[in-house]
Amino acid sequence: MRTLDRKLGLLSSLPLAVVLVVSFLAPLVVVAIFSVMPQKVFSLTNMPDFSSYAVFFDQGYYKSLLWSLGMALVSTVILLVVCWPLSYAMAKVFKKFTLVLTIAVVMSLFVSENIRLFGWVLTLMKGGLIEGHIRAWTGVGFDSPLYGVPIIVFGLVYVYLPFMLFPLAQGIAMVPDDTRQAAYDLGATRWQVLWQIEVPLAAPGIVVGSLLSFVLAAGALAESKILGGQAVIAIADDIETAFTFGQNWPLGSALSMILIVIIGGLALFGVSKVDLDAIMGRKR
Amino acid sequence: MDSSALLRLRGVVKKFGDFTALKGVDLDIVEGEFFTIVGPSGSGKSTLIRLLVGMDELTEGSIWLRDGRIDETPANLRPTCMVFQSLALFPHMTVGQNIEFPLKLRKEAPAARRARAEELLDLLRLPRSYYDKRISQCSGGERQRVALARALAFDPEILFFDEPLSALDYRLRKTLEKELKDLHARTGKTFVYITHSLEEAMVMSDRIAIMKEGHFEQIAVADEIYSAPVSRFVAEFMGEVNLFGLRADDAGLITSDILKIRAGVAVDNLDPGGHGLLMVRPEYVRFAGDERAFDFTLTGTLHGEYALGSRIQYEIETTGGMVTVEKLREDRLNASEGEQVTIGFDRAVTHFIREAT
Amino acid sequence: MPTSRSTRIVLYVYGILVIAFLYLPLVSVAFASVSRARYLSFPIKRYSTKWYGEAVESSTVSELLTTSLTVAVLVTVISVVVAFFGALAFARYQWRYRTTFQKLILLPIFFPQTVLGLALLMWFNSLGIIPSWKTAVVAHLVWIAPIATLIVSIRAYSFDPALEEAARDMGAGTWTILREITLPLLMPGMVSAALFAFLLSWGNFPLSLFTTGADSTLPEWLYAKMVSGYSPLVPTLGVMSVVGSFLLILTALAVAWLLRTNREARAAQN
Repeated sequence: MRTLDRKLGLLSSLPLAVVLVVSFLAPLVVVAIFSVMPQKVFSLTNMPDFSSYAVFFDQGYYKSLLWSLGMALVSTVILLVVCWPLSYAMAKVFKKFTLVLTIAVVMSLFVSENIRLFGWVLTLMKGGLIEGHIRAWTGVGFDSPLYGVPIIVFGLVYVYLPFMLFPLAQGIAMVPDDTRQAAYDLGATRWQVLWQIEVPLAAPGIVVGSLLSFVLAAGALAESKILGGQAVIAIADDIETAFTFGQNWPLGSALSMILIVIIGGLALFGVSKVDLDAIMGRKR
Repeated sequence: MDSSALLRLRGVVKKFGDFTALKGVDLDIVEGEFFTIVGPSGSGKSTLIRLLVGMDELTEGSIWLRDGRIDETPANLRPTCMVFQSLALFPHMTVGQNIEFPLKLRKEAPAARRARAEELLDLLRLPRSYYDKRISQCSGGERQRVALARALAFDPEILFFDEPLSALDYRLRKTLEKELKDLHARTGKTFVYITHSLEEAMVMSDRIAIMKEGHFEQIAVADEIYSAPVSRFVAEFMGEVNLFGLRADDAGLITSDILKIRAGVAVDNLDPGGHGLLMVRPEYVRFAGDERAFDFTLTGTLHGEYALGSRIQYEIETTGGMVTVEKLREDRLNASEGEQVTIGFDRAVTHFIREAT
Repeated sequence: MPTSRSTRIVLYVYGILVIAFLYLPLVSVAFASVSRARYLSFPIKRYSTKWYGEAVESSTVSELLTTSLTVAVLVTVISVVVAFFGALAFARYQWRYRTTFQKLILLPIFFPQTVLGLALLMWFNSLGIIPSWKTAVVAHLVWIAPIATLIVSIRAYSFDPALEEAARDMGAGTWTILREITLPLLMPGMVSAALFAFLLSWGNFPLSLFTTGADSTLPEWLYAKMVSGYSPLVPTLGVMSVVGSFLLILTALAVAWLLRTNREARAAQN
C-alpha cells in the first residue's frame, strides 16, 4: 500500500503542480530576469545590469517599501488585538453564532475589494453617509478622515480582517479546555492563563494569521489609492506605475523582486514552522 | 454537624434548564480521608465534582470548607486541586515547568521552586533527571505521576480526582491504584475521588458514597457497602448478586414465592405486613444434597458453567429466574447441563433489604 | 472557568458590531445606487431607480458581465478538477514530497496579487501571447486553484482510507475507486470549492487588471470609474454584483439543505 500511495500521491499532485509551474513559477523567473535588464527595455535579450536596483536606492523607492511594510506591520498588530476576542469567542464561547459569523464574514469576502473600499469613501467622505447625515441633523460638519495615512491602515485592517480571524480561531480551538481549566484550578488569574497557556498553545494559528495579514497588506494597493488618495505611495503602487506609466519593465521587475524576496522569505519561514496537518484538523 | 468535617455540602442542587442533575445533596467529608464517589454515568458525580472545584455554580445550597463558605469563590482562589481524566498537562512545558507552574503563579523564587519540584519528584518516585523531560516523551504512568506532583505542589487542602485511571490498561491501573493509596497515606491529604468502578473504590477508599440520579444512595465503608447494601441498586452495583422477594404476613410468618424456608428462621427488620429483598452473594450459595440442610433452599436446572480464572460461576435456572453460584476452582461441581440441582444458604450469610411499603 | 453571563453578552455584541462594520460600506453603496443625483451626497434628496434601468440596457455592461461570467465559469471548472487531485495529494496519500507540496502550494495565496498580475503580463508578452480574457483565466487559476485545493483538503482529512482499501481488497482498480468512492465522498468539499472559486474569480480585480488586455471584467471597469470619470452606474453595478453573489450563495445553501432533507426522508422510508 505504501508504494501505491507514493505513486498516487505524486500523480495527483501533477495537475496543480503544472498549473503553478506554468502560471506562477515561470512568470516569477521572467520577473527575476527582467529585473537585471537595462532600463526601459521590453525584451529579455539584453546584457544584464543592476541599474534598476541602483534606482531603488537612489530615487527613494525604498521609502515606499518602508511605508508599505510599516503600515502592514501596524495593521497586523491591530488585527491581532481586534480579532483575538472574536476568534476566542468563535472557538470557545459561541455555539450556533459561530456559523452565522463565519458565513457573514466569508460572504463579505466575495464582494469585490473595490466596491467595499468605494463604500467606505461614500461613508466617510464630506457629504457622505456619516458626515452628510450628521450635518443635516445637527448643522455641524467635520472634515473627512480620508486621504491620510491612518485611513490607509484602517482600510488594511478592514480588508484583511477575515484572514486573521479564521486562522486565529483555528489556533485557539487547538487549546484543550482541560488544560485551561487546570491552569485556573492551580491558581492562575485570567491574564496568566492568557499569556502562559492560551497564547503559547494557539501559536500556530497566531503565526498563520499574522503572516497572511502582513504579507497581503504589504502588497496591497487599493487602500492607499482609493482611501488614502496616495498620501503615501505603497510599493505595489510604484511597481504598477513603473510598468504602466513609466514603461520601465526592468525597474518594475526589480522593485517586485525586492518585495517578493522579503515576503517570500517571511512566508516560507512562517509556513515551515507550522504543522499544517494539525491546524487543518487532521483526524488520523 | 461533625466538627472534624473538612468539607461540608448542604442541600446542594444543580439544575441545567429543566433537568435537575443534583437533587439536594448533603455530605460531610472528614479531614484526611480517602473518600470515593461511585456511580454510573449520568448519576451526577462529574457535576458534583465540578461544583466542588469551582468550575460551575450551584443552583441552590452551600459548600463549606471548615467554617468558611466557598461556593462563591472562583476556582483559582480555592485551596483545592483537581487531577483531570485527561491529566491536562501543559504540552509546551517540561516536567519541571509543569510541576512548578502553581509555584511560579504564587511568585516563589526559582531556587525554592526547584527544591520543591525535586522533593515532589522523589515523593512520586520519578527520577530527578526527569525535570527537563518533555511531556510528550513520558509514558502514561509517568504522566500520571507528573500530574499528581503538580497537583500537590502548592499544598492544597483537598485533592479531587476525576476518573483518572479509566483510560488505562488493567496492569497499569492496578499498579496506580496501590500507589494512590500509598500516596494518600504518606501525604495525609484529603482525597475526593470519583469513578464508575466500585472495585477501584473498594481497593483505595476509607469511605464510599454510591450515587444514583443526583443523590446519594448509601455512604459507608467498603465492607458495609458490600455486605449490607441499603437498596437493590447498591446491591446490584457490585455485580453478581442474588435477590429474592420475602414477605411477612400480619402474623409475622415469613414466606417467599421461590425459596423454601426452614421453620423458625427469623429475619429481623422484616415487620408483619412488610416485604423486602433477601440478598445473598454467589460465593455463599452451596449445592445441597438435601432440602433440609439449609435455612433457605430451592431447586433448579444447571444452565451453564463459566470459568473465571480462579473461580467458576454456575447459573441455575429456577422459577424465580437465574441464580448465580460461585465456587473455587478446586471445589468444582460434578454435574452436567440440564441436570436438576438443589441449592441453599443460611440466614447468617444473607442480608435483608427492607423495601418501603 | 465558565464564561460569565456579562462577558458572553459583550462578546455577542462585539460580534454583531464587527459584522455591521463589515457591511456598512455596502449600505452606503446601496443608498448611492438609488439616488437620483448624478453626483453623490448624503442625505439623499431624491430617490430613483433609473440607474438600474440604464445598467440593464447598457451594452457595455452586458459585455462586462459576459466577460466576467465566462472567466469565472472556466476558472471554477478547472479549479475544481485540479483541486480534487490536489487535495488527495495534500491530505490523503502519504508520499515523499507531501509536506513540501503543502507548503509550496500555499505560496501563491500569500503573494501580492498586483505583483503577480504584472509578472504574468510580462510572461505572456515574452511568449508572444496577447492578453485577453483567456489569459485572465490562467491568472485567476494561480491564486484560486490552491484555495480550492485547501477547501477540498479539509474534507479529505476526515476521509477514512479504510474505505478505499476495502474496495481495493474487493478487486476495484484505481480509477474505479476514485470515481465510485473518493469522488462522492469529497463532493461536498468540491461544491464549496466551486462556490468559492466562482465568487473569488467574479470579484477579482488585481489579477484581471493586468491580464485581460483589451477585454474588461466588471471589477476592472468599476475601478477605472472610481479613480477617474465617476459614473453613477458604479454603485448600481456594485449592488447588482453583490446581490447576484448573495443570491448564488443562498441558492447553493438552499439546494444543499433540500438535498439533505430529501436524503434523510428517503432513508427514513427505507
